[in-house]
Amino acid sequence: MHDLLAPLVSRRQVARGSFVLGFEAGPIAREVRAGQFVNLLLRPGPLLRRPFSVYRAEGEVVELVLKAVGEGTHRLLELHEGDRVSLLGPLGRGFTLDPSAGQVTLVSGGLGVAPMPLAARQARAMGLRVCWVHGAPTAADLCTEWEGDEVRWATEDGSFGTRGTALDAMPESPGQVLACGPLPMLSALAQRRPAAQVAVETVMGCGTGVCLGCAIPLASGGYDRACTEGPVYRADSIAWERLPAPTCRRGEA
Amino acid sequence: MTTSRAEPGDPPSGLPELDSVWRWPLEVGGVRLLTPVMAASGTFGFGTEVPLCDRRALGGMVCKGIFLTPRTGAPPPRIVETPSGMLNAIGLQGPGVETLIRDYAPLWATWEFPVLVNLNGETVEEYAELAARLDGVPGIAGLEVNISCPNVRRGGMLFGHDPQPAAAVTAAVRARTRLPVWVKLTPATGDIAAVARACEEAGADALCAVNTFLGMAFDAETGRPRLGFGTGGLSGPAIRPLAVYLAHRVAQAVRIPVIGIGGITCAEDALEFLLAGCRAVQVGTATFVDPNAIGRVVEGLRRRRLPPGHLSSIDACSRQDASSQR
Repeated sequence: MHDLLAPLVSRRQVARGSFVLGFEAGPIAREVRAGQFVNLLLRPGPLLRRPFSVYRAEGEVVELVLKAVGEGTHRLLELHEGDRVSLLGPLGRGFTLDPSAGQVTLVSGGLGVAPMPLAARQARAMGLRVCWVHGAPTAADLCTEWEGDEVRWATEDGSFGTRGTALDAMPESPGQVLACGPLPMLSALAQRRPAAQVAVETVMGCGTGVCLGCAIPLASGGYDRACTEGPVYRADSIAWERLPAPTCRRGEA
Repeated sequence: MTTSRAEPGDPPSGLPELDSVWRWPLEVGGVRLLTPVMAASGTFGFGTEVPLCDRRALGGMVCKGIFLTPRTGAPPPRIVETPSGMLNAIGLQGPGVETLIRDYAPLWATWEFPVLVNLNGETVEEYAELAARLDGVPGIAGLEVNISCPNVRRGGMLFGHDPQPAAAVTAAVRARTRLPVWVKLTPATGDIAAVARACEEAGADALCAVNTFLGMAFDAETGRPRLGFGTGGLSGPAIRPLAVYLAHRVAQAVRIPVIGIGGITCAEDALEFLLAGCRAVQVGTATFVDPNAIGRVVEGLRRRRLPPGHLSSIDACSRQDASSQR
């Protein structure tokens, strides 16, 4: 784990309102595994850090994907090249890939694309065939970047690809399933594919396991910490009905 | 007093180094602190969970609040960020005292800095029972009696509202342990000085001021509270001036040492509590943001010199008023 002052080195748009920011943070880029995250601190800025899954890690650069939803994310998008943020990471437990699975299907809804490019690269490096299924409300919200051997798209309004969510566009024999996206999509996936690995988004404090703020209710009872035991879980191990969607006050995310 | 022009950012010259006034280690309420800056309960786990922290800076640590039996904690969401602060309702999730004694205390016994255990109960007897179980356990330097947690349905803060129940818990713990007994006070009382005096008279060795402020936030979209527990405790820089004032009131009211807590993020913040009459401080929420917050506070204190008249102001706060109000 590292706490680095990382300068912004790149920025590009990948969907309506969604941007990929690249920060120079070599030690994190070299260690991070798919599904792990960094906890980002902006000064001046909101009191607490903000967790982001690592989108890509290449050379010295760690990429994060984000959407302007509130003050913190707006401020991040106003950064200039060279402006520095504090990145704490890599944090959490990422996806576990099974080399004997043959194929892996990545299922992402909206900003749930975040951990997928890294997952695709890791999977292909292990010789797995990668199918990426990506869904969003409309064509304009679909991420323009993908990696793997096959890609399938879904839009809720039917403006591109299959009409419905990413789940509706999944192959019949998906092999190993890794997913990230809105809670309703993940809980629906848990019904169909209990063994799928899901990366959950939740309100988070420290990101290092000490504050106990990111409690995930478990099907077996009790809670554990998204930042430490997660954020990747076997889909059927989460008590989805007790997991509230992360919310923020308008302008405060 | 004349002062020569200093370099930009330098403190005024001609004043003593903080180190020379404040000898570290220092004895506070029966506990030998390595520096005046401690880790506050609930923000440092059991001391094994905070990476990247300069542990040599730690004056001591208060572990996550413990009950007799394991607790699952409050339903999520458990934290909500607010302007310059955070509301939390963790609900004292924890493993129970037997696990603490078996798994953590032996580890603590090997550490340089002292570890205090934060005690919680739903009844006076539960606090007393906990104190008895921990008495004589190697690795435990003292007890911090938590009569101020807002995030439990029974006990906790309810004991801290008024002098009489606060004294009852303190006396019950005092009677069952030879360890130093510190009491952590809640701001949710009409007269914190009266509660402080009651705890002192009941045998407390030191007082910690203050725990979080009871707060609430609603989600305008759903119309429901944003914390799963409904209400929570407010911490962080947002509460600092309130906490400095209350710590000052407490320091004025008692002869035993006061440990200041509330929104400390840097040396300057810690100094405010020290000037308000506290002997030491605890850093909490800042550790969530910067795992090495305590290291930075201590490093900053090392480099500080005290403003003019500091000795008399500290003396005034902690001694003169105590005697005049009694």
